[in-house]
Amino acid sequence: MAEARYLYCIVEGNEEITLGNIGIEDSSVYTISYQDLCAVVHNCLPEPYKSEDQEKMKSWVTAHEKVVEIAWEKFGTVLPLGFDTIIKGEEGVAPDENMKNWLKDDYENLTQKMGKLKDKAEYGVQIFWDPKIISEGLIETNPEIKKLSEEIKSKSKGLAYMYKQKLENLLKKEMEKEADRYFKNFYEQIRRCVDQIKVEKTKKPEEGKQMLMNLSCLLTKEKSKILGDELEKIDNMEGFFVRFTGPWPPYSFV
Amino acid sequence: MEPSRDTHATLVDLLDRILDKGLVINADIIISVAGIPLIGVNLKAALAGMETMLKYGVMQAWDEKSRAWEREHRKKNVLSLVEGEEIVLKMYGSYYYSKGIYNAWKPGYFYLTNQKLILYRQDFNEITFQIPLEEIKALVTREEAHFVKEKKKQVLCLIDKQDQVHRLSAVEINQLKDAIEQKLVTMGLSLESSPVLPEFEKGPIDFLIEGEEVTHRGEKVWYLVPASGSKQETWRPGHLYLTDKRLCWWYDFERKLVFDVPVDRIVTINTEMRKTSGLDSKKEKVLDILYEVNLTKRTASFAGKEIDEWAEALNRIISGKIEEEIETCPQCGKSAPAKELLEEGCSSCGWVSPVRDRKQKTENRGQKTEKTTA
Repeated sequence: MAEARYLYCIVEGNEEITLGNIGIEDSSVYTISYQDLCAVVHNCLPEPYKSEDQEKMKSWVTAHEKVVEIAWEKFGTVLPLGFDTIIKGEEGVAPDENMKNWLKDDYENLTQKMGKLKDKAEYGVQIFWDPKIISEGLIETNPEIKKLSEEIKSKSKGLAYMYKQKLENLLKKEMEKEADRYFKNFYEQIRRCVDQIKVEKTKKPEEGKQMLMNLSCLLTKEKSKILGDELEKIDNMEGFFVRFTGPWPPYSFV
Repeated sequence: MEPSRDTHATLVDLLDRILDKGLVINADIIISVAGIPLIGVNLKAALAGMETMLKYGVMQAWDEKSRAWEREHRKKNVLSLVEGEEIVLKMYGSYYYSKGIYNAWKPGYFYLTNQKLILYRQDFNEITFQIPLEEIKALVTREEAHFVKEKKKQVLCLIDKQDQVHRLSAVEINQLKDAIEQKLVTMGLSLESSPVLPEFEKGPIDFLIEGEEVTHRGEKVWYLVPASGSKQETWRPGHLYLTDKRLCWWYDFERKLVFDVPVDRIVTINTEMRKTSGLDSKKEKVLDILYEVNLTKRTASFAGKEIDEWAEALNRIISGKIEEEIETCPQCGKSAPAKELLEEGCSSCGWVSPVRDRKQKTENRGQKTEKTTA
């Protein structure tokens, strides 16, 4: 017996309809409405979806995303939930009732969010740099670093070692300074093209590329062209790479 | 450039979102494990190729700083006042903060209220300094040499009823002084008219060559005069001067320069706590300067109250100065010299560089690792 509801997202609308067997493990997905808000759900057991099997996990997450996307397409605006959000029932309270109570209590907050997200989508922007190219550039252009690296050549072994350390420290410091400078410039550049921006954790370096910034941006789909143009400028800079993903449901802005 | 949705890398980007984010629901109606809402907890551990945790790397501190910076600037802190307290004047400025080994001008906003004078740092939600107006005994402005190469700076010395001197600085420092004085008059309080300021002992500086300018000076500094002939090495009192060309030490008793080295000959500096006399077991902070003359390395050691300030001033020379380029404030867009922006913050909106704190840390770290080998 199903006694819980797996919640995919909240959408705008007041009809209770079925979206078909498009959910996790081909579950039948339908809507539960409260006034002009609908929760998109399927019936499930009151326990989380978990598995050691990677492929299974992947298919679940993909299904979750697919449902959110379909609902997004159909209803226009969507407040997505993270994977494994399951509304439970309690003694004497059915899960649907719990859900409706929550929609009722949070109604204002939810509709407000809905209004803010109308016609907007989330895009991921990740900017990388090649630390090798950047530091080589610094050795050429930063007079102090250049001087120091020239000087090393003429030093005795012991002194050269000390100088090398000094150079490394200086280079590291200058790299951070550069990173800061670029971060702020890019941030400004991108902020102008989007409605909302969020700075996410950067991730570990991959294939000699270091992630300089990881952003989630909220904007209308039309504006994505302008953002794309701006990112192209950055991508064309020597030593810089941009990864531009989306449009995604606005996971980061709910 | 078009956004993409279908490569492996974008899948990771999407998974991050589905697993880490999404609308948050209050926990009592959703299923959780041991009280923790489990949005994706298991999944994250299971799915390979997903790096939601940043591996410890060179840029980590930087990454955290930039995110913290962004967070700070999204929520604006406000100074809280007590009931009946009203702001009379708000002005950008800085306060010379000195506690333990930490000495620095801390920038923020001066708030003169009908009760207190406060220096508030919005970005850190920190009240760096505050004093009830009736605790102010006297106010004196004086010119002080700023750190490296900069113009003279007007400093307002505020003497409190305990005879403590607080140093305040602002572009319109006299305006602040006037406002405090006026406020005190309306409160029926008066300041001491000709206060005695504990001046720095200033040694003679007629040793300067033409065009040479003192960029840093301070209180008494002890120098370990090297052994010569039958004399052993001894600590002697005097004054240290940093000019735009040289670092000099003036021996007070003999009234002459005993130590004198061009700044570009200084290789590295280091500070260390150690004993300066055989009799006393107390350790003192000693500044060791490694310099090079005629291809020979030499060390000079100094001690004194303001060793950290000296180390900072010298470190700036060694690590080089930020060139006088003009930058725009990342918050309000105001143009200002990059150096000023980075070191003092923006004078129009109060933005403070996140690098500032880190820079200090790196410098401190630098000092520790660059051990002087004498």
